Amino acid sequence: MKAEDLYEGMEEIDDDVLDRSEKNKEKKRRRKPLWIVGTAAVLAAAVLGGVWFRTWNRSWVLKAYAIEEASYPEMAHYPNEYSLTFDKDYDAWRESQKALQQEPGYADGLEPFFAAGIRQFLSGEPGENRACSPLNVYFALGMLAELTGGNSRQQILNLLGVDSIESLRTQAQAVWKAHYCNDGATTSILASSLWLDEDVAFTPSTMETLAKTYYASSYRGEMGSEELNKALRTWLNTQTGGLLEEQIQDIALTDEMIMALATTIYFQAKWDSEFNESNTTEETFHAADGDITCDFMHSSADGAYYWADQFGAVGRRLENGGGSMWFLLPDEGVMVEDLLKDPQTMDFILSNGDWENGKRLIVNLSLPKFDITSQKDLAEDLQTLGITDVFDAVKSDFSPMTPGAKEIFVSTVQHDVRVAIDEEGVTAAAYTVMAMSGAGAPPDDEIDFALDRPFLFALTSPDGLPLFVGIVHQPVH
Amino acid sequence: MEDQQIVALYWQRNPEAIGQSRLKYGAYCFSVANQILTSPEDSEECVNDTWLHAWNRMPPHRPDVLRIFLAKITRRVAFNRFKSRSAQKRGGGEITAVLEELEECLAGDTDVEEEVIVKELGECIRQFVRGLPAREGDVFSRRYFFTERIQDIAQAYGLTPNNIMVILSRVRKKLKTHLEKEGYLHESGRPV
Repeated sequence: MKAEDLYEGMEEIDDDVLDRSEKNKEKKRRRKPLWIVGTAAVLAAAVLGGVWFRTWNRSWVLKAYAIEEASYPEMAHYPNEYSLTFDKDYDAWRESQKALQQEPGYADGLEPFFAAGIRQFLSGEPGENRACSPLNVYFALGMLAELTGGNSRQQILNLLGVDSIESLRTQAQAVWKAHYCNDGATTSILASSLWLDEDVAFTPSTMETLAKTYYASSYRGEMGSEELNKALRTWLNTQTGGLLEEQIQDIALTDEMIMALATTIYFQAKWDSEFNESNTTEETFHAADGDITCDFMHSSADGAYYWADQFGAVGRRLENGGGSMWFLLPDEGVMVEDLLKDPQTMDFILSNGDWENGKRLIVNLSLPKFDITSQKDLAEDLQTLGITDVFDAVKSDFSPMTPGAKEIFVSTVQHDVRVAIDEEGVTAAAYTVMAMSGAGAPPDDEIDFALDRPFLFALTSPDGLPLFVGIVHQPVH
Repeated sequence: MEDQQIVALYWQRNPEAIGQSRLKYGAYCFSVANQILTSPEDSEECVNDTWLHAWNRMPPHRPDVLRIFLAKITRRVAFNRFKSRSAQKRGGGEITAVLEELEECLAGDTDVEEEVIVKELGECIRQFVRGLPAREGDVFSRRYFFTERIQDIAQAYGLTPNNIMVILSRVRKKLKTHLEKEGYLHESGRPV
């Protein structure tokens, strides 16, 4: 091999990488690292903002005590490129990234929970946008398992597919670390917090476990007071980048609650290969209750197309190893809700692209920009999935949470999600969109994939775990 | 004219496609060629050849980023012309320095079969660059795809030339390791 071969091989560098590398030519001096310039293309947040614990009888209230704060793993800052110690800093940053990497298989066994959960959490009336964050619910349930005993705990362990609380801790830690990044440039934290009534004595060792295993911070105060409510909302808004402000303003703790558990997930990433803004056009989306006009982004690129009995699908990668977003379009005549019942749908979402019926070809993708929100109390869904005792004041066992606890139950499990995808700028340009009729094996070398009717999406982490899954019925409000 | 409209003209076999391409990207393609050849006459000829190749490739191609599609054609035409020059006519120029730098990635290891190289090396490099952090990928691409001068890259990024050289050196080392792992080179100090 000669240097000439290498030089010629550079021709295969992806177009979008070369395009990106030239983009700053006209800019004089760049003051920020490249990868934080530009608008986020995918923005998503979820809050499981209230596993509210209520009690009928507060006579057992004892005394208050302090709880320790969670401490996140330390990460080296992303290096300053102007620094004289750039090389050293860069190596330190890479090392701290590697330290959080998990062994392959760390999430094995979670698939049945994700599949059953997604199917259940997205169930509802046809025509409504719906979204959930399976990973977010996983963490809330993990913490709930720590607070419970007996059959209450066992039901949760069964749903999460683990045989003991110790196995749950090991797995939850691995999942948490694999999704954590806080290097000054990228922030990705599965944040959790506990909101405790100042008059209730909680078991210190349990609270410690929550802080250490789930990195949960805890706050104490007077339940129902405006001060504590404000603190809770501020915490939730901070953790979710203000994306769910509208939904969060309705969240309040009342004086009959003794504890609230909140978990959040916030996600922001750019498309690995951006949509060309000049290709964005206004087009028709065929919603169940009538046609609506919205902005469609277009791209035409070499990519993988997948198919199953009832849907066709494509994926888009996100920058800096941010995972992927998958779009599943039901075949003509198939309702998007029908896909939820189809086992192939969940298998595909959890396959991370490792799917038998796939083919690389030119995919002409036509994707509506969307911004959807979903608010749901998951209490009923969790009961359908087999977690019943914690909702029952008589059967529930919260003994690990507080000594002498009686008649405590979970009153609501509020899950709020917002997912938005977009790109900057709109300039009309003619573009022909051909609706796909039926999936099945694609043509030889090119396919038009127009998401112009209700579809399913899944945002997965680099390891393939479902961060967000949803159904888009109305891309815009 | 918008890129997609120009592409549409190629697909319609409308010669106006070439006129519009020249108008919009003629100067750009010239600079791509001239970075390699440092000869205005030769570079101009490469640009003219570019339109012919583009005409022959669209259809079936429908590039998403027309500018880069054309840059790749120009680059290949220009580099072929560079290789056909006799050694003494190649002169200094940026391409000589770029090839010397790439030579470092090989470190005298030239045993791998040519056929494998032709077929798969490009894909190996594509994956390598795709996996780099954005800034490293950009600096690397500008040096080894666009053959830009280190001073120009440094200016574009507001960095010192020394800083760019450090970045390039680090990425070349990574590339060498990547090529070793992928079987294009023998691993350092270990006979295969």
